[in-house]
Amino acid sequence: MKKNKLTLKDMSTASGQLVELKQEEFMKLPNPYDTPEAQPPLKSLSDEVREKFECDLDGFMAIKIIRPKSREEEERLVNKFLDGLRKLLSKENNWTFFMPLMLSLEYCAKCQTCSDACPIYVSSGKNEVYRPTFRSEALRSIVDKYIRKKGSLYLKMTGNEIELNWKMVARLAELAYRCTLCRRCAQTCPIGVDNGLITHELRKLFSQELGIAPEEIHAKGSVQHLQKGSSTGMIKQAFADTLEFLEDDIEEKIGRRITMPIDKKGAEILLIHNAGEYLSWPENPSAFAIIFDAAGVDYTLSSEIVGYDAVNYGLWYDDFQLARVALKHAQIAKDLGVKKIVVGECGHAHKAISVIADRILIGDLNIPRESCIPILEDIVVNEKIKLDPRKNNFPVTLHDPCNMVRLMGIVEPQRRILRKIAPRFREMEPHGVENYCCGGGSGFAIMPSLNFPDWRSGVSARMKFKQILDAFQDVIDPSIKKMVCAPCSNCKGAIRDLLAYYNAWEKTGIAYTGLVEFIVNAMVDVKEPYIEWPEF
Amino acid sequence: MTWLPYLSYISVLVLVVGIFAKVIKYLRMPIHLRWELYPIPHEKKDGSYFEEVDWWKKPRKKHYLNQIIFMAQEILFIRALYHHNRKMWYASFPFHFGLYLVIGWLALLVGGALLKIFWVASGLAETLLAVAVVVGVTGMILGIIGCVGLLIIRATSSDLHGYTAPVDYFNILFIFAVLGSGIIAWVSADPRFSIVQEYIRRLITFSAATTTSKTIAWHIALFSLFLIYLPFTHMTHFFMKYFMWDKVRFEDEPNFRGSDMEGKIAKALTYTQNWSAPHIQTGKKWSETASKGVE
Ligand code: SF4
Ligand code: SF4
Repeated sequence: MKKNKLTLKDMSTASGQLVELKQEEFMKLPNPYDTPEAQPPLKSLSDEVREKFECDLDGFMAIKIIRPKSREEEERLVNKFLDGLRKLLSKENNWTFFMPLMLSLEYCAKCQTCSDACPIYVSSGKNEVYRPTFRSEALRSIVDKYIRKKGSLYLKMTGNEIELNWKMVARLAELAYRCTLCRRCAQTCPIGVDNGLITHELRKLFSQELGIAPEEIHAKGSVQHLQKGSSTGMIKQAFADTLEFLEDDIEEKIGRRITMPIDKKGAEILLIHNAGEYLSWPENPSAFAIIFDAAGVDYTLSSEIVGYDAVNYGLWYDDFQLARVALKHAQIAKDLGVKKIVVGECGHAHKAISVIADRILIGDLNIPRESCIPILEDIVVNEKIKLDPRKNNFPVTLHDPCNMVRLMGIVEPQRRILRKIAPRFREMEPHGVENYCCGGGSGFAIMPSLNFPDWRSGVSARMKFKQILDAFQDVIDPSIKKMVCAPCSNCKGAIRDLLAYYNAWEKTGIAYTGLVEFIVNAMVDVKEPYIEWPEF
Repeated sequence: MTWLPYLSYISVLVLVVGIFAKVIKYLRMPIHLRWELYPIPHEKKDGSYFEEVDWWKKPRKKHYLNQIIFMAQEILFIRALYHHNRKMWYASFPFHFGLYLVIGWLALLVGGALLKIFWVASGLAETLLAVAVVVGVTGMILGIIGCVGLLIIRATSSDLHGYTAPVDYFNILFIFAVLGSGIIAWVSADPRFSIVQEYIRRLITFSAATTTSKTIAWHIALFSLFLIYLPFTHMTHFFMKYFMWDKVRFEDEPNFRGSDMEGKIAKALTYTQNWSAPHIQTGKKWSETASKGVE
């Protein structure tokens, strides 16, 4: 293990685990987590796992890469990595991000302004391996030496004299999953360099060339999505059954049966939810059904394979998987003859279909796509349904999902909604486009294997936890119930795990939910409280 | 020093061709997927058109003036550094602003020389020269202060030290030498910069350009060498920012059916890709691979 300050060369030369995380060095948390005893310990990997899988970065594991058995296999993988790198730097293979990548590779001034913007780097107590430029510099060095074949004087002068070997490649693969792609770093860069993009491209290289990606994102994620219909594994029939169950549940809750329209041809809107909602937070799609029914919105859900799951994990690691899912979503909308696709409360699904796939969908597949938030704002602010804000009379703060806010510019509508219906709404600091990621971004929220969740809640979500605690410091007593509003399935998943990890409900009375739940909770026609608080 | 004008001509040529080549390289790149980052100054404050219902039916409002103001602050005052890295800004701002003034100084000298060529000894040319002295000397002094500051920060900051390569020190020292030699030439040989301007006038008119002053010759030589070196370094970020900001970070132009953009996308979709992971059908067109699904 490295004792002195880590350098890029250590990526290929250090033996064993490269860095050891020390909790006492982590960023301090506010009351009541300001003592060492309040920090849950980080789990270690078993010796068995360590022996079988590559985990020599920081002792945590996001991707299960089996250790190569021979030198030849290592060499083959290193060569494949270089093949992938060449493809990443070719416009035919990587037209999708060619210009942004070249710019970010060529123009970094190494001023390190971006470092302090990164929640992972700061939360870890500024561990060098998590510095936003660390992996970017590693990639630049490999490009200069092995792809552009620069001479030794050049490499010496630019400090890019590193050795590429399997250790380096395996560590880089893991390191590509120590960044949530939140792009907060890019926001502060005086040049415009984007370390988040470099991470994204590195992930693509591993997936598109070596077939290496976390199984929750690829095999059990986008592949399952395309083949079975949903990344949750939910098949078509199960989806129909789920809707029936939700309709029963709604009837029980509000005393009125609402039909959730499926495959209604010619509807105005195709509404697509993250299918995780149906399984983990069914009250969210139900709330949409209640609101849209009350406001008279003409919409339909789809029971087509892929059409009932808005997620698009390709956004995080693979352009082809991204395009495949986006094309399928568009095809379903086209076949239904809807006027637009509206995405439910799922940040990455918002960005994938609205922003990224905007330059993949052409011709009659280029169907207008929009967020659910402006429609909800229209309903709430223009009083298309009757609302009584007093029903939400508890402290509320708002989490800004990166994909929806910093990366898509949907900033104010959700605030206007909360200001209208939640009288005790308060902002986290910083918020809006300068928000911090929930810590579960870029797939982390759905990666529960081995000790990765500990790293997520202990490191990548730490800044979010600090923000939440800070926002509620004046009402931190657990007897005062308070709520984090997170209008994104993945963020909700990360925040759920985060609050559980720190036992936050018991210690602070903080719970979480989505945005539509607040709206239904405030509806005059809904007599019983819609928001359910956890049990003590 | 008969070689001096040749060096100057070469430097201008290399600089122009180098910048041109870089710009062309990026202009010829294919369209890329959107990767914008908010806030985008030509949109409404912090937000975007995605905040509106049926945004595609509404007229697109772009506040170009806001974007120009934002970029001007960014370029002239290094706004991002001021907000996010104040310590470095104290050195980086005088460094960059000094260099801008030096570019202004050069422009004034060239402008004055042109006036003299086409408008024989006008009073305006003399005024320009007087302004050039103030602008040039201020720029050189600020630049030198910036160089020293940057050297100190890079050498002493634990954050920066490990990421500062020999070439980074070399670049700063090179600029320091160019500016320092300019100040020496000004103090010792050319207090009105009239000799330098005469040198420029002769360069423009292709008449034997030379100078008898060694200090001025040193300055001109260093300046010329720097112009030759510049296009090959990341220091070209001063104009490549256009691509970084305007073509990536602020680029939120939607793709409408039948638009020029759609044509460019259709072309990119015909590229043949040869990624070789098992879930990708290698050797197929991009669009075929995307529409095929996982096999
Ligand atoms: S990415 Fe930007 S902020 Fe970070 S070191 Fe490079 S130039 Fe500086
Ligand atoms: S994208 Fe976010 S997590 Fe990744 S390096 Fe930048 S700030 Fe850190």
